[in-house]
Amino acid sequence: MEVEELGQHISRSFNEELEQIRNSVLQMGGLVEEQFDRALRALTDADSELGLQVAQDDVKINQMELAIDEECSRVLATRAPAAGDLRLIIATIKTITDLERIGDEAEKIGALAARLATVERPRTNYRELRNLARHVKDMIHGSLDAFARLDVQLALDVVKADKEVDLEYESIYRQSITFMMEDPRMINRVMDVTWTARALERIGDHSKNICEYVIFLVHGKDIRHSDLRNLQPEVTK
Amino acid sequence: MPGRWISQIVFVCIWLGIFVLLGLWFDGLGWWLFSGLVLYFIHTLRNLYSLDQALRGGKYIPPQMEGLWAELFAEVEKLKTKSRNRKKRYNRLFREVKESTGALHDAGIILNSASEIQWFNPAATRLIGLDPKTDIGQRIDNFLRHPDLVKHLSNPQEEFLTIPSVRGDKGQLSIQVIPYGKSQNLAIVRDVTKEVQLERTRRDFVANASHELRSPLTVIGGYLDALADDEGLPDNWRNPINEMERQVERMTQILHDLIELAKLDSGESQIPSESVNIVNMMRLIVHEFSDKKGIARVQLKLNTDVFLSGSEPSLYSIFYNLIHNAVRFTPEEGEILCTWSLIDEGVEFSVKDSGIGIPEDMISRITERFFRVDPGRSRELGGTGLGLAIVKHSLETHEAKLYIESEIGKGSLFTCVFPKERIIAHTEEL
Repeated sequence: MEVEELGQHISRSFNEELEQIRNSVLQMGGLVEEQFDRALRALTDADSELGLQVAQDDVKINQMELAIDEECSRVLATRAPAAGDLRLIIATIKTITDLERIGDEAEKIGALAARLATVERPRTNYRELRNLARHVKDMIHGSLDAFARLDVQLALDVVKADKEVDLEYESIYRQSITFMMEDPRMINRVMDVTWTARALERIGDHSKNICEYVIFLVHGKDIRHSDLRNLQPEVTK
Repeated sequence: MPGRWISQIVFVCIWLGIFVLLGLWFDGLGWWLFSGLVLYFIHTLRNLYSLDQALRGGKYIPPQMEGLWAELFAEVEKLKTKSRNRKKRYNRLFREVKESTGALHDAGIILNSASEIQWFNPAATRLIGLDPKTDIGQRIDNFLRHPDLVKHLSNPQEEFLTIPSVRGDKGQLSIQVIPYGKSQNLAIVRDVTKEVQLERTRRDFVANASHELRSPLTVIGGYLDALADDEGLPDNWRNPINEMERQVERMTQILHDLIELAKLDSGESQIPSESVNIVNMMRLIVHEFSDKKGIARVQLKLNTDVFLSGSEPSLYSIFYNLIHNAVRFTPEEGEILCTWSLIDEGVEFSVKDSGIGIPEDMISRITERFFRVDPGRSRELGGTGLGLAIVKHSLETHEAKLYIESEIGKGSLFTCVFPKERIIAHTEEL
C-alpha cells in the first residue's frame, strides 16, 4: 500500500476523514516527541521545574488519545471501512495506545528527573542515560516517520534498533547493581537512574510496536512475535 | 478576401470547368463532373493527411503544391518553430530556476491551502529530510510534528518560529510561512543553530555577570551604610559617602533589572496563570506614590474590577514601571491618571501623564534596552534604562500589547491591552 492509495474514495468526505485521522495521529506523535525532549532536557540540565511541568502536561496527550479513539469508532460505525481503510483504523487505534504509553513514560522520566535534580550528580552527568535516550529518540522519530511515509524499510530498521536499546538498558542495569553494592548510600539515586533507564527501554518497545503496526498497515501482515530473519524477504519486496 | 482564397476558388472553378467542357464534348456531363469531384476530393484528402502528419510532428512531407495548401503548411511550420523555441527557452529558464533554488542554503517548500507539500528544493531534503519520491502531496506537519508548528500552520502569521531540528542533534530550525498567490504558502526553513547558541551565550553571560556582581556590591553597600551612620565621619567626607551610597543603590537596581530581563528572555514562554487581583495591586502601587513629596499627583480610575490570569510579580513590575516612568517624567504640578477598564478586545490598563512627552521618531525605540530619549536627563532622574524593556517582555509573555501615544510638552499615554482569554470575572468570594 502506498500513501496515495489512501485518497481514492468516491466519497470525498471519507477521504478527508481518513486523512484527518492519520494527521491527528502524527500530531499526537509530535506532542509525544516534544514531551520526551523536554523530559530529557529536564534530566540533563537538572531542571526540576521543567521535569514537573512535563509530568503535568501528560494530560494533553491523554486527551488527544481519547479524541482520536472516538473519531476512529465513529468512522468504523458510519463508514464500515474495508481492506486498507480498515487496516488504517486498526493500526491507528493501536498506535495511539502506544503513543499514550510513551507519553506516560515521558511523564515518569520528567518526575524522576525532577527528583534527580535535587541530589548530587555524577561527574559524567548520566552519560549512559543520555546515550540510551538518543537511541530511543531516534526510534520514536523513525517510527512516526515510517507511519507518515508508510515506509516498511524504515519500520524494519527501527524494529531492529530495539535490540541495541535492550542491550544498552541491560548494561546500565548491571552498572547500577555494581554501584549499589559499592556504596549503599547511593541506592536511592541509582534506583532512580535505573527506573529512568527502564522507562527509556519501554519507550523503545512502544516505538517498535508502532513500527509493527505500520508493516501491518502496508502489507496486512502481523509480524509481532515472529522471527525477523524469516520475515525480511516477505515484507521488503 | 485574402488572395490565397481567391486563387483557390479560381483553381476549383477552372478544374470543374475543364470537366464540364469534357462532359459536354463527350456527351456524359454527369459522369465527367462526378469523376472531376472525386479527383478533387482525393487531392484534398491527401493534403489533409500530410497536414495531419505535419501537426503531429511526424515525418514532415514537403508540400508538393502551391496556393492555399502551401501557405497553410508554411503557417504550421512557423508555429512549430515558434513553439519549439519557446519550449527551449522555458526549459532553460526552468533549469536555471531549479539550479538557483538548488543552490540555496535555506529550504523552500511550497504548500497548498491544506498545508500539503507541492514542491521543495534540495535544501529541504538536507535540512528536514524530505524525500522527493514519497513526500509530495503529504501534509508538512506529518514530518515536522512539533506542536508549535502545528499551531502555527493553522493560523499562519509572517513570523519566525524556532523549533528543534528533526535530526536528533541539538540543531534549531527557524520557519517562516509566507502566504502568496491563491491560498498558497511558501515555507522557508533555515538552520539557526548557531544564532540560537550565540543568543543563549549572550543571555547566560548577562545573567551570570549580573549575578556575580551583586554580592560584591552588597558588601560595598553595607560598609557605606555603616560609614554614613558613623558619628565620627569628617564632614568633608559626608557628601561623597552619600553620593556613593546612591550610586550603589542605582547599580543594584540596574543589576536587578538585568537579571529580571535575562529571566524573561530565557523564559520557556511558559504562560503563567495565577488569578491576580489587579484592583488591589493598583491601589497598592498608587498608594506608594501618594506619600512621596515633590511628585505629580497619581489618580486611579477603576472602571472594572475583573481579575487577570497571569504571574503576579511580573504584572506588578509592568504596572509599577509604567506608573514610575510617568511620575519621573511629569513635573510636580502635573497630573497622572491610571485607568483599568473593559474594552472590546479585552481589558485595558492605561497611564496618562502630562509630562514632557516623547519625540515621535523615538516612540518605536523606547522599549529597547538602555535606550534613552535624553541621556543626561534620565540618568539624573535615576532610571536604569531597562524599565520599558522589562514591561514589553512581560507583556509579551501575557500575550498583551503595548500602545504608546505621545506629544511633546503635552504628555504621553501608555496603554496595555490584555486579551479576553486572560480575564477572570470577579466573583464575590474572591
